[in-house]
Amino acid sequence: MRREKHIRWLIAPALVLLAAGTLYPVIYSGYLSLLQWNWGSEAKFVGLRNFVRILSGSGFPKALFNTFYFAVFAVVIETFLGLGLALAINRIRVGAGLIRTLMILPLMVSGIAVSLIWKVMLDPTLGIINYLLSLVGIPGPAWLGTVPTAMPSIIMIDTWWQTAFTFIILSSALKSLPAEPFEAARLEGATAFQTFRYVTLPMLKPVLITVIIFRTIDTLKVFDIIFGTTGGGPLRATESVQTLAYQTAFKSYKFGESAAIAVVFSLIILALCIIYLMIDTDDGEKA
Amino acid sequence: MSRSASSRHALWPYAVALVAVVISLFPIYWILTIALKNRVDAFAMPPVWLFSPVWENFGKAWSSTGFSGAFFNSLVVCAIGNVLALAAGIPAAYYLNRKHVPGRRTILIWLLISYMLPEFLFIVPMYVLFQSVGLYDTVIGLALIYQVFTLPFTIWLLRAFFADIPEALAEAARLEGASTLRIIWTIYVPIAAPGIAATVILNSIKMWNELTIALALTFEKAQTVTLAVAGFRGYASIDWGAMSAASIIIILPMALFAILAQRRIVQGLSLGAVK
Repeated sequence: MRREKHIRWLIAPALVLLAAGTLYPVIYSGYLSLLQWNWGSEAKFVGLRNFVRILSGSGFPKALFNTFYFAVFAVVIETFLGLGLALAINRIRVGAGLIRTLMILPLMVSGIAVSLIWKVMLDPTLGIINYLLSLVGIPGPAWLGTVPTAMPSIIMIDTWWQTAFTFIILSSALKSLPAEPFEAARLEGATAFQTFRYVTLPMLKPVLITVIIFRTIDTLKVFDIIFGTTGGGPLRATESVQTLAYQTAFKSYKFGESAAIAVVFSLIILALCIIYLMIDTDDGEKA
Repeated sequence: MSRSASSRHALWPYAVALVAVVISLFPIYWILTIALKNRVDAFAMPPVWLFSPVWENFGKAWSSTGFSGAFFNSLVVCAIGNVLALAAGIPAAYYLNRKHVPGRRTILIWLLISYMLPEFLFIVPMYVLFQSVGLYDTVIGLALIYQVFTLPFTIWLLRAFFADIPEALAEAARLEGASTLRIIWTIYVPIAAPGIAATVILNSIKMWNELTIALALTFEKAQTVTLAVAGFRGYASIDWGAMSAASIIIILPMALFAILAQRRIVQGLSLGAVK
């Protein structure tokens, strides 16, 4: 074991990169959020004024609401859909590998290409979606172009893009479950629903929670598919926290205010993760 | 159970799979047809399902200002980013797999938190820093900042793969006087090669598709392929053909990855989430 004395050098490069990449920015963002600083001009210390401004203004609360609206619906739909697909496709014996390969393709597509694809398909007059709807007599809406339909459209786009993620992970988890409990349930004459509710679901729960945490974090950070489709419009109906932070920093060049937005938002995400993990361990103790 | 009932029982998952596959693939297929249509057919309503393909849109997209340069920039960023992530991540994963090393728990939590942070928390500080040290608008700078997500992911994943390697192998080599670096290089890296491949593939996909950071930290010289594609999303002049061709060009390398390495991608994704 003595030869392992120098082992701490192994972690050094990673620590240097992590410190430069996360620790420095976190501290610097905290400092920036206390400044009134437009890039290119003199910085002025303003205390908590940036926080008061973003919390009392209309832009940030609206963006926060939009972000949660998007995240809640996207996560719930993608989790249910991914679970349903995993349960169905895990019954397939022949061709399951090919089906999985084809189904993960949307996940390989860059968010910007996803945006352009759906902008073309959802075009109100020339898009294929409204044409298909017209065939069955439904007049299609302007999708990304009106306030009530814009966010649901973005949620639909994200569902197309990311359901493969929940599907793949839940599908792998299902395959790795032990066979004995299912055998026991079958011998006891459990119905398919009972087997799912009392055997599959409890065993799947840790992975299910992990999937939900991953998707929650990712959807809260949504940027690409909004930047690429609506840019936050119409009338800020799809403005997310990250598109607002981008506008504030790189269109208005208000670095201090943008840092304040990022700091508040990071704290919200951190709090959510802690709550999720607490729920997780609480149930673990009860069981 | 009657025969027809049992065969119906076996068929419905295929019906579900068929619908899911069609929905997954149709948008990509549709954008490919628009890329292959001439201007008239692309805008035709009702849509034209049968047409003779033209290739000019791909030429137009590829030769548009900065596109090919951006394509190569993205390749270079992926290459440097992967080298950095492996160079720092392999020894780190080995270190964190030892049970009683200092700071183990803190570092693991730190890795999780860095995954959680929204991009704009570090983009603005990095913008200020990169402007002052000359890393703004460089591929090196981009590959460095991409370590914020590639490095934690690499360490996390490789740790899971390293955990399956029996300790006795390293112990035997150590008795013969091999250094730790030598043990990592001659035992861990070869055995975990499939895991390293999965890590490289997933990191490449993430970096190739990244938009948010590249948008803020590059301007012209180091523009990536995602930004080149974003340039087509004009509101006034709609050139659907070139825009669709550009989308296909950015999708193609990653789609090939998915088809050739489906098993590795699935393995990497599930390990990353489950462990």
